[in-house]
Amino acid sequence: MKTLSLSLLALLAAAPALAQVEGTLRFTVAEYSSATGPYFEDLATQFEAANPGTDIQIEVVPWDVLLQKLTTDISAGVNADMAIIGTRWLIDFVNEGLAAPASDVVSQEVLDRFVPALLEPGTLEGTLYGLPVAASARALYVNDALLSQAGAAAPATWDEVRTAAQAVVDGTDAAGFGLQGNEIETDVYFYYALWSFGGDIIEADGTSGLDSPAAIEAATLYKEMIDAGLTQEGATAMSREDVQNLFKQGGVSMVITAPFLANQIAAEVPDLDYSVHPVPAGPTGANFTYGVTDSIVVFENSQNKELAGAFLDFAFQPEARARFTSGEGFLPVTTAEAALPEFADDPTLQVFTGLMANARFAPTIPGWEEIAQITSDALQRVYLGEETPEAALTAAAAEIDGILQSNQ
Amino acid sequence: MTRRRLLPYLLAAPGLALALVIVLWPLWQLLVIGTGDVNRFGQVRGFSGADNLLAVLADPDFHAALGRTLVWTVGIVLGTILVSFPVALILDRDFHGRGIARVIVMLPWAVSLTMTAIVWRWALQGESGMLNSALRGLGVLDGNVQWLAQASTAFPMQLLIGVLVSIPFTVTVFLGGLASIPEDLHEAAALEGASPWAAFRTVTLPLMAPFVNIAVILNTIYVFNSFPIIWATTGGGPASSTDILVTYLYKLGFRFGRLGDAAALSLVMFALLLLFTVLYVWLVERQQRRDA
Amino acid sequence: MTRKMRRTIWSWALLSPLVVLTLFPFAVMLVTALKPASEVLRPTWLPSRLAWENFGTMWQATGFGRALWNSVVVATLSTLLAVAVSIPLAYALDRHRFPGRSAIRQILLVTQMLSPIVLVIGLFRLVVALGWVDSPWGVVVAYAAFSVAFTTWMLQASFAAIPREIEEAAWLEGASGWTALRTVFLPQALPGIAAAALFSFVAAWNEFVIALTLLRSEESYTLPIQVFSLVAGRYTVEWHHVMAATLSATLPVAVVFAWLQRYLVRGLGAGAVK
Repeated sequence: MKTLSLSLLALLAAAPALAQVEGTLRFTVAEYSSATGPYFEDLATQFEAANPGTDIQIEVVPWDVLLQKLTTDISAGVNADMAIIGTRWLIDFVNEGLAAPASDVVSQEVLDRFVPALLEPGTLEGTLYGLPVAASARALYVNDALLSQAGAAAPATWDEVRTAAQAVVDGTDAAGFGLQGNEIETDVYFYYALWSFGGDIIEADGTSGLDSPAAIEAATLYKEMIDAGLTQEGATAMSREDVQNLFKQGGVSMVITAPFLANQIAAEVPDLDYSVHPVPAGPTGANFTYGVTDSIVVFENSQNKELAGAFLDFAFQPEARARFTSGEGFLPVTTAEAALPEFADDPTLQVFTGLMANARFAPTIPGWEEIAQITSDALQRVYLGEETPEAALTAAAAEIDGILQSNQ
Repeated sequence: MTRRRLLPYLLAAPGLALALVIVLWPLWQLLVIGTGDVNRFGQVRGFSGADNLLAVLADPDFHAALGRTLVWTVGIVLGTILVSFPVALILDRDFHGRGIARVIVMLPWAVSLTMTAIVWRWALQGESGMLNSALRGLGVLDGNVQWLAQASTAFPMQLLIGVLVSIPFTVTVFLGGLASIPEDLHEAAALEGASPWAAFRTVTLPLMAPFVNIAVILNTIYVFNSFPIIWATTGGGPASSTDILVTYLYKLGFRFGRLGDAAALSLVMFALLLLFTVLYVWLVERQQRRDA
Repeated sequence: MTRKMRRTIWSWALLSPLVVLTLFPFAVMLVTALKPASEVLRPTWLPSRLAWENFGTMWQATGFGRALWNSVVVATLSTLLAVAVSIPLAYALDRHRFPGRSAIRQILLVTQMLSPIVLVIGLFRLVVALGWVDSPWGVVVAYAAFSVAFTTWMLQASFAAIPREIEEAAWLEGASGWTALRTVFLPQALPGIAAAALFSFVAAWNEFVIALTLLRSEESYTLPIQVFSLVAGRYTVEWHHVMAATLSATLPVAVVFAWLQRYLVRGLGAGAVK
């Protein structure tokens, strides 16, 4: 109730700034959690109340089938006016002329609200196409109770991770280092190590970095940890959600994941004794986190760009954004949000936002989904012991080079 | 009199039209997309002939998936028939609680295939799955088996699930077949002093043949194209080691955005099924002519 | 011990492996649905208490009531349509000899050969062209169309068990073709029709891919989509809700199965009147 009245206040405060708009707007919303649908419906209702004559239709789609639905919609020419997409998909939309430049839809004032670094992933060849709606980074969650029981300290480097994991395995019933080996972002889990060893996903010369010494070293690190029993069992069947669940149950002492785990822990196992640390560093002390944004993209064929702009202006007000960001467990995307006490004063979130300075994003290149799949498959073969890291990664790099070449 | 001769066509027309429309139009679309230069959003930009098809045929993943699909299909269809026939025989004779037994056997049909697969995936979880905890509780297992972590344990599980969900349909078909065998044939065989096994061989089996055939054909078609089981449990992984043609097709089309290739692949799959059905029916009819 | 008793013991003994395997997923569903939220991730078989309220919270959280209604409407309408066109088709295939009969059979078989995954784009374009996106009609017609082949086959099998003599007897007594059909044939065919209708209904009830493609707003989503969205790509999956939802979606169908199981088998060609 308190948030509702605050929102209404924000609404009234913003009302004079809203242009008089009319019409129907269709918005494809990707579903993060059970709160996503109700949040956007609520937003839509508030907007409609402030702008009589408008009808905002929210179409909620689960993430797993989002790309499939967008594809079928676009192929039949009946896509919505705007949609939430993974920013890594943006380049395909832009290349096909499907995305409208953000400056065509919203004013500079709206664009200025965003944290500048977060606009980078959505900017292609100097033009901004996607407005970040969700942002997150990754950090190392550590179960302090297990570590102290094992007599280990929270690790800052990969070597310390191995030591701590060994101590946990020897001194407790839990697994040491949680390794995600299945489903989306399996390749990302590898990139933390890759980057900390000085490697790169795509080299400066435009070829795949998977066959570099750094990459092979990183994969070997993970494989050795699996073989030594330092990770949870069955990594290739464990998705990110599975490893997180294990962490929540106290079955594994370390896992690298996003801020929303903190929300989940607070809701489900509030007594869990844990802390958040930067991603483990390599021998040179280098560590990089993976930054992700999801973007709202307005379609070029939309007939309601003005209404879309008005709705986006409304949706990116600090109050509305704060509710979304804290509700879903993301990082603030606008500077006004970031200044709010619930974000500025939260120590866990501070770790994440601090890491954003060193964040790397997925390369915005066409064919990225396929490249990620090839990388994940190669890693799974390594984890299962079916191929050596060198063999698997070299083969994968060759395949990826083929794709990179054909897409030039 | 022409009205009389037209009658069957008039009767058949609505049903046939309905069934065809839903298939012909999409099939035509598949041809267009499959032979077209199409972007990842299904927008056709030009004509590319057999390029997509050749790209698919050259892909090693395609060959692996093809082989696996054959194993998948034969394994499940054979397993289903071999289990369903005895089950149908048992359920055909009256016994206490037969009604309940029948309902239990039919239950998998009542659940959406996607949800069945999701529940199994949940139960097959390595650390927190209930199959492992049940097997450990019963003393069958010492530690946890990571069922879905590698193809050597995942694929057999997927085959098992495939058989379990195909049994209700097949048992129904067989029960119908058994029930259609007139009583007097059994009595005649008994009167002539035939043993139950001989009666089974000379009376039941031949009369059940058409039902077995339809069960084989329909099961083959459904199993060949069955997407949810593998997709929900392993997504075709790890490292594409449990991919069958239809899951490989989904990745091609909706993940990698190679819709042209996906469409060409779907036409190949369609041709394979068509070929199988035609061959099978021809073989059966040849056998029937021999027996006659 | 009576023969029936002996047969009962043997039958249940032989069926037990299948019974266990079949009931296993349902047991998992039930146990998980009744676990309090904090215990869901633990693989125990005995919840600390029976959390019946999960069904209630699930109902609210998933908009179950609305999705249930949508599923009922769509499944019922598509079944009616499928049965309405399949009855004459099956009658023609069974009772009449005419050129093209086996071709029609083959064509019907062919309509089953394309996986919904593959048809999705083409089907979607067709539905868009007809203006039926997000309308239940697109889904109803699509389901009915896919159902025709199997429904026709089932009906044909049950019609084949009805001897022609009873219709011919009616004709001899002066009844017209149509009257004979209505008064003599249809009552005999009713169990078969009921069985075919049931299977068509269940297939429509559980279908997922086509519904997901053709429907867009949450108000029109059917049950499989709502249940699937609980699991598909969320950061946290509420498994107790997922299991409770699946059970609730399955229960009506299971009840109807139990009620009609006697007729199901009879419907496929048993017990012809001599």
